[in-house]
Amino acid sequence: MNVGVAHSEVNPNTRVMNSRGMWLTYALGVGMLHIVLLSIPFFSVPVAWTLTNVIHNLGMYVFLHAVKGTPFETPDQGKARLLTHWEQLDYGVQFTSSRKFFTISPIILYFLASFYTKYDPTHFIFNTASLLTVLIPKLPQLHGVRIFGINKY
Amino acid sequence: MERPERVAAALGAQPRANGCSGAAHGALRNGYVRGLPAPDTQINHIVHNGGLYKRPFNEDFEETPMLVAVLTYVGYGVLTLFGYLRDFMRQWKIEKCQNATEREEQKDFVPLYQDFENFYNRNLYMRIRDSWNRPICSVPGAKVDMMERISHDYNWTFTYTGRVIKDIINMGSYNYLGFAQNAGTCQEAAAKVLSQYGAGVCSTRQEMGNLDKHEELEKLVARFLGVESAMAYGMGFATNSMNIPALVGKGCLILSDELNHASLVLGARLSGATIRIFKHNNMQSLEKLLKDAIVHGQPRTRRPWKKILILVEGIYSMEGSIVRLPEVIALKKKYKSYLYLDEAHSIGALGPTGRGVVEYFGLSPEDVDVMMGTFTKSFGAAGGYIGGKKELIDYLRTYSHSAVYATSLSPPVVEQIITSMKCIMGEDGTTVGKARVQQLAENTRYFRRRLKEMGFIIYGNEDSPVVPLMLYMPAKIGAFGREMLKRNIGVVVVGFPATPIIESRARFCLSAAHTKEMLDTALKEINEVGDLLQLKYSRHHLVPLLDRPFDETTYEETED
Repeated sequence: MNVGVAHSEVNPNTRVMNSRGMWLTYALGVGMLHIVLLSIPFFSVPVAWTLTNVIHNLGMYVFLHAVKGTPFETPDQGKARLLTHWEQLDYGVQFTSSRKFFTISPIILYFLASFYTKYDPTHFIFNTASLLTVLIPKLPQLHGVRIFGINKY
Repeated sequence: MERPERVAAALGAQPRANGCSGAAHGALRNGYVRGLPAPDTQINHIVHNGGLYKRPFNEDFEETPMLVAVLTYVGYGVLTLFGYLRDFMRQWKIEKCQNATEREEQKDFVPLYQDFENFYNRNLYMRIRDSWNRPICSVPGAKVDMMERISHDYNWTFTYTGRVIKDIINMGSYNYLGFAQNAGTCQEAAAKVLSQYGAGVCSTRQEMGNLDKHEELEKLVARFLGVESAMAYGMGFATNSMNIPALVGKGCLILSDELNHASLVLGARLSGATIRIFKHNNMQSLEKLLKDAIVHGQPRTRRPWKKILILVEGIYSMEGSIVRLPEVIALKKKYKSYLYLDEAHSIGALGPTGRGVVEYFGLSPEDVDVMMGTFTKSFGAAGGYIGGKKELIDYLRTYSHSAVYATSLSPPVVEQIITSMKCIMGEDGTTVGKARVQQLAENTRYFRRRLKEMGFIIYGNEDSPVVPLMLYMPAKIGAFGREMLKRNIGVVVVGFPATPIIESRARFCLSAAHTKEMLDTALKEINEVGDLLQLKYSRHHLVPLLDRPFDETTYEETED
């Protein structure tokens, strides 16, 4: 047991996304990213939106679906060591509110990006590809699945 | 039995800001109760007219302000990004890695440890590590001496300057009744016993380690608690973790509070029983679990549970909340389950004569099946005890793992406990014990009220000597600890993952040894640091109590 810990929560990572203000912070973070990209004079509005979408999805993929385990030691004998953060959320229970929120937010960003890029074909390809990289790992059928053994250990 | 349900349901309906403030504190009700007080008014009358609670139960957990929560996440986010950057630099040898690493020859082997599990330790904990594990060099009473240490490489290594910081006001020790002394009657008695019995027993209770001192102690503890019989063990943690497996096993159900201590959780897991967790101090959650357990039985076989044991603590040391014991006992009786009460922090600290949380609520000790406690906090000693019916304790004498395998208490420690317990009970012929208990109660009320007036967010019950002051942001954890040390006050700060991510706190433990001058000095410094670090988040703005000025001869609303 982690002596000195004030609760009997085995893996605090499971509850982080449910805590108060996390969704708001996430939305503000995406907004901040977008504003920074819009302020760069070389990027037109469509490019800024596509970049927001792509960078957001890249960040989400890395932090939710690539990094495994917990940044602190947990007393669960390593059950969560091979799980990504997405798989750890709520101890693997599917369709909780955090999961729904983080599934819907890249979709909303995708709609906005498609609108602001005026459905241009090149932008469409980038946006859709990046959306798929972030939506497919969230499917419940892919819980714990590692394609071609990538990122298994 | 409709009334307790109504009280329980109404009180449990707002689990966070449930102030069932007494009618006497009419002006302060808005400070404790969130939302409209109208529906609660009726409940207060029920409570006071011979309901479950004989005294007002004021517990307050103000919610984190949204701006503060957002800034806290931003803080952790920035720290995480910088952590990744520093790890990258360490990996590519741009920066020297000061953490322990595997040898070059073993780099191709399967790694023994996962680097990522140490991420928090390397990048967050190391930066503020100087607020913990501070070396002290005197008895940790109301004031303590500390060895000064500085670090030239951002807390990776420490060097001692050789200077000793003297007379730091100690707000971190669990010294509730001030028995952490190296002079006085307890110390003299313990020294005499040391020369008579020696330092160790070198055996377990069941073999050669059962001294007459242990029997004397156990009779005294039983008398102190008001139970039939008691048994004492050498270590408080081991009391929980070794005795719960002796009481429950497979086929039993344990209902444990969310914030129970590691020893209770370990004991519950070792026992092999099914564990279900109810929300902290939330009686609705507990009742729902009890109902489900009795209606559905064991998971697959649907057989009835052999035993249902409810594990609660008297005072929860991280939150400062007191268990809702009257409601728990009402539920226990209704659903015919057993209650295990861990009074580690509340024995000696609550109640008009220091008998603990059972006396605080005016209940009978016979209602609690297993009363467990420790001697570490209020008695200035070490060890734990379990009290209850004679059959239970006789069973534990035979079957407890501690009794069979662990060494029994050391004789001078036993004498310290006996002397301090007699002092609290008044059997040594003085009123010192009673004075200490009352001093602690006054200190608690005074300190909490002043902190709330200053505008800090303080968690917990009004009467609990554990006072968590919310800091929230990771940088403020380190800053608070360091600033308080600069001003000669020692505090304990806690952050994630020991607490929820947005609820880092500083925890003050009040003591009967603190004089009013010490408390005033501490409050002044906390006020300064609070202004400096902008810690005054509270939006309740309590109206100050219009009571008599606090001085040694008048007592402020003490238990009577």
